[in-house]
Amino acid sequence: MKNLRAWFEERLGLDAVTGFLEKKEVPCHKYTILYYTGSSILFFLGIQIVTGVLLAFYYQPTLAEANASVARIATEMPLGWLIRSVHSWSATFMIALVFVHLLGVALTKAYRKPREATWITGALLLAASLASGFTGYLLPWDELSLAATKVGTNLPKSIPIVGAWLTGIMRAGDDVTGDTLSRFFIFHVSVLPLALVAILGVHLFLVQRHGMSVPLEEERKGGKGPVLPFWPNFAYREAGVWLILLGLLVTIAVFFAPGLGPRADLMAPAPEGIKPEWYFLFMFQTLKLFPGRILGLNGEMVAVLVMIAGMGLVAFLPFLDDRPAERKGKIITGLVWAGLAYAVAMSIWSLL
Amino acid sequence: MKLPYSLFSRRAFLNSLIGGWVAALGAAFISPLVKYILPPTPEPDQVSLPLAGLKDLAAGSVQGFAWGNKPGLLKKAEDGSFIAFVGVCTHLDCNVTYITEQKRFYCACHKGWYDENGINVAGPPPSPLRRLDVSVEGDALIVRKQA
Amino acid sequence: MSKRLRWVSILTALALASCLMAVILEAGSQDVAKAPPGQPAVKASTGETAAAPRPPRERMAVNVLLAWIWVSIAVLFWLIRLRVREADRVYRLGLHGPAVRTPKDTGR
Repeated sequence: MKNLRAWFEERLGLDAVTGFLEKKEVPCHKYTILYYTGSSILFFLGIQIVTGVLLAFYYQPTLAEANASVARIATEMPLGWLIRSVHSWSATFMIALVFVHLLGVALTKAYRKPREATWITGALLLAASLASGFTGYLLPWDELSLAATKVGTNLPKSIPIVGAWLTGIMRAGDDVTGDTLSRFFIFHVSVLPLALVAILGVHLFLVQRHGMSVPLEEERKGGKGPVLPFWPNFAYREAGVWLILLGLLVTIAVFFAPGLGPRADLMAPAPEGIKPEWYFLFMFQTLKLFPGRILGLNGEMVAVLVMIAGMGLVAFLPFLDDRPAERKGKIITGLVWAGLAYAVAMSIWSLL
Repeated sequence: MKLPYSLFSRRAFLNSLIGGWVAALGAAFISPLVKYILPPTPEPDQVSLPLAGLKDLAAGSVQGFAWGNKPGLLKKAEDGSFIAFVGVCTHLDCNVTYITEQKRFYCACHKGWYDENGINVAGPPPSPLRRLDVSVEGDALIVRKQA
Repeated sequence: MSKRLRWVSILTALALASCLMAVILEAGSQDVAKAPPGQPAVKASTGETAAAPRPPRERMAVNVLLAWIWVSIAVLFWLIRLRVREADRVYRLGLHGPAVRTPKDTGR
């Protein structure tokens, strides 16, 4: 075994990586638990890729066969229902953790200098994850997912100038058709995973380069606080967390496996109670609340522009919060909490 | 029987325990995954063909039928009896066809030839075409796997 | 075990136990086809597919798999705990760096 390792090290020069990992340290403080979120996201991403490939073995991305092939996976293939259930629940867990990770970084202001670029890559990863969820939702091609996709791809239309063109690109035309399905499929299985992995590489490199950030109050204490070596102390703890997450995921996937609605009919009226996946609920509710016209402008356009402004605020947070330690920083922290409260409240409201 | 010294260090023992158990956990996932990746596509036990459709079949000619996912070939012999083959070449699985003038089965992929009884006579095929049992039951012709 | 750790483990155990109860109850009612939330009262003529039509043998296999997963997690957790304690001990004793000079080196 040692000889094999030596063989690889001589050729690949892995000493640089292993040497770095041995020296990497993780600070210990009140919020150390937040450090586990990043690797947990990676864990679920790995599960997504594996289960996704397995599902793609039997899924057929055509108008005629999509729904039937998913039904076949869920009913005929041995444990196909479990693989589909794991894929669906792992998506939920992963996006939930992405939000926890985002909030953790935002509230501990880990995005402050020199980690602004890390935050930007993180925002891009958030966008890619949400896009993966959105595109994946259409693939079973049942009534609910068709309706949700129609609504979702209709939103960009309200953006002035480029709106109709954007919607046209997403839908492959004016309406949601079989071409839309093909487009969403290739985005979901190829374009977005490649983009995700590429951006993730940059994100991870930046994280290692700058080291783990500590909250402001720890920084103020000065000096170097208590730390744990990453290897083996922190790594073993992470392994324990991963095990628990795996157990929870499989258990929930077994007992709460998703069903499949009837095949989508492009000509049928919209079914009752359409709603997007949970991570879009707050946007969905916000849109519902906007009146038809505001100050003479189209209400939906204002709503979409407000949402885009919100996304911009999130993406450029490190540049807005350029004085994190002072009063401005505290106000922004308050706004972040307010944003979270708004999103949670809107999500719950949309379910009532 | 007490050993004077330990066979392996505590570290090695615990490491193997961890590694072994992780492997066992992984193995529990492997079996269902393998079943999923290699799903069974069994051939049918039997196929029933209505005799009415076969009345017009001339002696010495061949008609195709579906044998699960594979093509089946039903041949009416000179004396009116039927023989059935799985129309898949025994060389590399291409579908074969029957050339009536030559009374031989032909596989275009690598120019393999079988005679009218399915015996491989020329080209690369290593063995005869697979036979299927044929029996007439009522108004249907039943094709079965060979016993 | 510190007081805080004890509380955390009690709460986690309670949470897991209640989850377990919930899923057991849910599993009991799994025989009927489950409707995804928000399906209209007016049903389309084509029905919907149940989530997991599981023949009894497959059900047993899944339950065995689940039990094995949790048993393995418990065992691996305990083994990892040993490793973590050892790693922390080594770190606290300062032995995690390159090997220091031992008495053997000095030739005594």
